[in-house]
Amino acid sequence: MNHAAFSPARVWTLAAATVTQLVRMKILVFLLLFCAVVVAAGFAFPVLNPEHQLKLLKDVSFGALQIFSLVIGIVATALLLPRDLEDRTLYTILSKPVPRHEYLLGKLLGVLALIGAGLLVMDAAFSLVLWLREKLLLAQILAGLKAQTPEAVAQVQELVGKQGLTWNLHLGVLAVFLKAAVVTALALMVSCFASSTLFTVVVTFCIVIIGHGQGLLREYFLQGKMEPFVEKGLSALLAVLTPDLGVFDVIDNVVNGQVVGPGSAGYMTGIALTYITGYMVVSHLLFVEKEL
Amino acid sequence: MKRPLQALLVLLLLGTLKLPLEQAATAHLRAEKLLTPRVDLGLRENLGQMGFAASLGGLRSLVASITYLRACGAWENVRWGAVDSLFQLTTRLQPRYTHYWDEAAWHMAWNASSHYLNNEKLNPALREKLSYEHVLRGRDILLEGLRMIPDDARLWHTLAELYERRDIQPAKAAECYLKVGELTGNLRFRRLAGYQYAKAADRALQLKGYELLMESYRANQRPPSLINTIKDLELALSIPAMLRIPEARVAPGAVR
Repeated sequence: MNHAAFSPARVWTLAAATVTQLVRMKILVFLLLFCAVVVAAGFAFPVLNPEHQLKLLKDVSFGALQIFSLVIGIVATALLLPRDLEDRTLYTILSKPVPRHEYLLGKLLGVLALIGAGLLVMDAAFSLVLWLREKLLLAQILAGLKAQTPEAVAQVQELVGKQGLTWNLHLGVLAVFLKAAVVTALALMVSCFASSTLFTVVVTFCIVIIGHGQGLLREYFLQGKMEPFVEKGLSALLAVLTPDLGVFDVIDNVVNGQVVGPGSAGYMTGIALTYITGYMVVSHLLFVEKEL
Repeated sequence: MKRPLQALLVLLLLGTLKLPLEQAATAHLRAEKLLTPRVDLGLRENLGQMGFAASLGGLRSLVASITYLRACGAWENVRWGAVDSLFQLTTRLQPRYTHYWDEAAWHMAWNASSHYLNNEKLNPALREKLSYEHVLRGRDILLEGLRMIPDDARLWHTLAELYERRDIQPAKAAECYLKVGELTGNLRFRRLAGYQYAKAADRALQLKGYELLMESYRANQRPPSLINTIKDLELALSIPAMLRIPEARVAPGAVR
């Protein structure tokens, strides 16, 4: 029987096993916490104006989405390889005709599937609360209007609707997912040469922080604004070695109503795929000869 | 040892190849107003302030909301210094959100300014000085906001009102109202600009005001204040009788 060099079915099996493994770690408790936070944020600070109440709800929800996706992306990935080594699952898998790149790909897809599903659930919960809050605020304001002229009603609807639920917000969630996907691939790469889980978590968090300011370093380097050789060299090295995570930070402006066009979504997806492919190649090169 | 070296080479190659792609994506997203443009504050300040904002990543909006709520708390406790610094932080974190600039300026130019003006514990000279300084602070906040979002009609409108009611600079107020008119296409703001030019001491500006008010008059938008101001300008500018409007001056409170 021929043994294929790459089998999507094997990768899928590994990914499904990874999802099961992560679900057993009870990391999805975060979802319940998220729902509680969203409901609380939705009805907190009723003294603020309607526009601000809705903005606050979106800010809190998107903040929680980011934290969930990044923490799961880093911590879950950092735990996977050591846990497989500890449980000896890794030896069982690799003793079968499973190439190491398929094992890595399966792990990555498993974590991404979990993050993706989690984000979908949270997005649905957040959208529901936002929609309810929007309708409630609108009804409250309209009830308080002395003269409900069509002009006044339209103005109120525009004011509240500007901060209400739009399809565009889901593209903001896509940006959160893409950033988490890049960070997950990065954590997997770090875990391939890391000596411990803690090392992977700390190093990846540091790269994530630098990655959010990478755009600033890159622009200074490319625009030749740095004179001393050490500054220029250091900024160039950081710009080359770290991903620009700032590219995915469109949420700040999406919350304020800016529309994510197909071009922008395409750029973000393209950049995320470039990083993920690059990091997976490096992970493979590091993992293929790793002594287990 | 061969594989780790290969891995490092791939990482460096990827890093070098991705730079132009990242640069293009950033430029595109900035053009689409999805990413906040970087302010050219100089390297040190940028690394300090914008670097701080960048390190918060996608949590900037959330942190801005928290600092905004803290600023509201400081306002309730009448701590104007804290209100100013917290709003400065809030606007720095989310420079494209109009509401923050607008409210920060309102707190300074209206609330803080009036608070000092009416504070009988201070001597009159100091009260006026502090009051005016806060008006100027409000103006500076709006001007900084307009540097970030130059086409924002709401900020231009607030600046116009500030020049009209707090700083008493009719010519500047008129320019701002004209800008609002240009951005919204609403003739009412050209009329408001006309009222402001009418208050100016300069004859050329008064003439400009007259033209703007006549534009509104010809468009059949004729509230009593418009008729009265045109009448005043006809006298001040010595407009020939045949060009004057036929309406009589409207008495205050009269229904037309």
